[in-house]
Amino acid sequence: MKNKLTIATLILGVLLTGCYPGGPEYTEELDVALTNFKDDYDFQAQTTYAMPDRIVKITGNITEGDEPEFIPDISANAILDMIESNMSDLGWQRVGIDENPDMLLAPAAWETTTVFWWYDYWGWWWGGYYPGWGCCYWPGYYPPVYVSSYTTGTLVMTLIDPDTESATGTPISQWTGAISGLLTGTYNADRIERAIDQVFAQSPYLKTN
Amino acid sequence: MKKILIIIFSFACLNTFAQGNIVNIQYAIGFGTGDLGDFIGSPSFRGFVFDYRNKINDNVGLGLEVGWNVFYEESDYDTYTKDNLSLTGKQWRYNNQLPMLFAADYYFSPDQTVNPFAGLGIGTMYSRRNTDMGTYSIEEEAWHFALRPELGVIYEVSSGFGLAATAKYYIALESGDLPTQSYVSLNLGLVFMPY
Repeated sequence: MKNKLTIATLILGVLLTGCYPGGPEYTEELDVALTNFKDDYDFQAQTTYAMPDRIVKITGNITEGDEPEFIPDISANAILDMIESNMSDLGWQRVGIDENPDMLLAPAAWETTTVFWWYDYWGWWWGGYYPGWGCCYWPGYYPPVYVSSYTTGTLVMTLIDPDTESATGTPISQWTGAISGLLTGTYNADRIERAIDQVFAQSPYLKTN
Repeated sequence: MKKILIIIFSFACLNTFAQGNIVNIQYAIGFGTGDLGDFIGSPSFRGFVFDYRNKINDNVGLGLEVGWNVFYEESDYDTYTKDNLSLTGKQWRYNNQLPMLFAADYYFSPDQTVNPFAGLGIGTMYSRRNTDMGTYSIEEEAWHFALRPELGVIYEVSSGFGLAATAKYYIALESGDLPTQSYVSLNLGLVFMPY
């Protein structure tokens, strides 16, 4: 009877641990597009905007007076073209910064690398190492430690009204669009274009025409 | 803590009057209802229930239940909006339910090959809900007060061994990060009645 019970428990355990639900399978499945806006701002009353020719790269270690870093021009130009195309479709006209634009569109990008590690956490059971189970590893058996990392890239676009500022004198973002995804080491224009298009598609209140 | 010790001691004392034990190991299919069903519409085919009863007389068994069901759903690429914030992407939703209950069953035909029974469970349920989007995961969890009515039948295949089919309805009241969580569990089990 005990054998039957043990076998039934083991079979159930193996079946259940083997079929824990999965998750994303492809890198692009992790792409997200986010937008936020101030609903008391009248976007329809605006028609022109200015945008820089470069995209600043936020590194977090710049000090006052330093020249900021920028993402490579070849990538920046493609991204700025995508933004301009979407803004144009919504009825906006891009003008120079010295032509008194109604709004400023400020793009910025950054990368975040997350490093993580883990032990072979089953190891303690059959004689490996597990934190807190120092007594149980085989002599000469070193703890298996795995290290990995992933890097995400984020592009943020902000629309600012140069005539409006907060009580402390800082500019107010009237609209923010952001795209974020896992970086693969190669520039993938299709993924970026799809995400930028989505940001503007889910912002119909920006339409001025 | 004192109350828990008293309850455990009470169950231990039941062995004095033991007329037999029942161990029921079940494969469990879960169907979310209420908030859980709204969050994940797909049934859970990943689950188990472990039931132990100590019979205090021919018709009544008291004991413990421990179970687990994980509900999972992968949503389409879609836009989720709350107030002025919109987020577009794919979502992976997970809901883990772990009931841990004291249970009492009433057996209608204890001497028959086919023995239907009804039961009630009371205790706690741990819920953990993860909403994964992009490289981010929102995690909500709660320890609920839980109730569980049950109907079932045991078919005795041979002396000391049988098969069981049961239906349980878990109600875990609002707690922690989560509202009331409830689901129906349909189970098929192997029953061991050592003595």
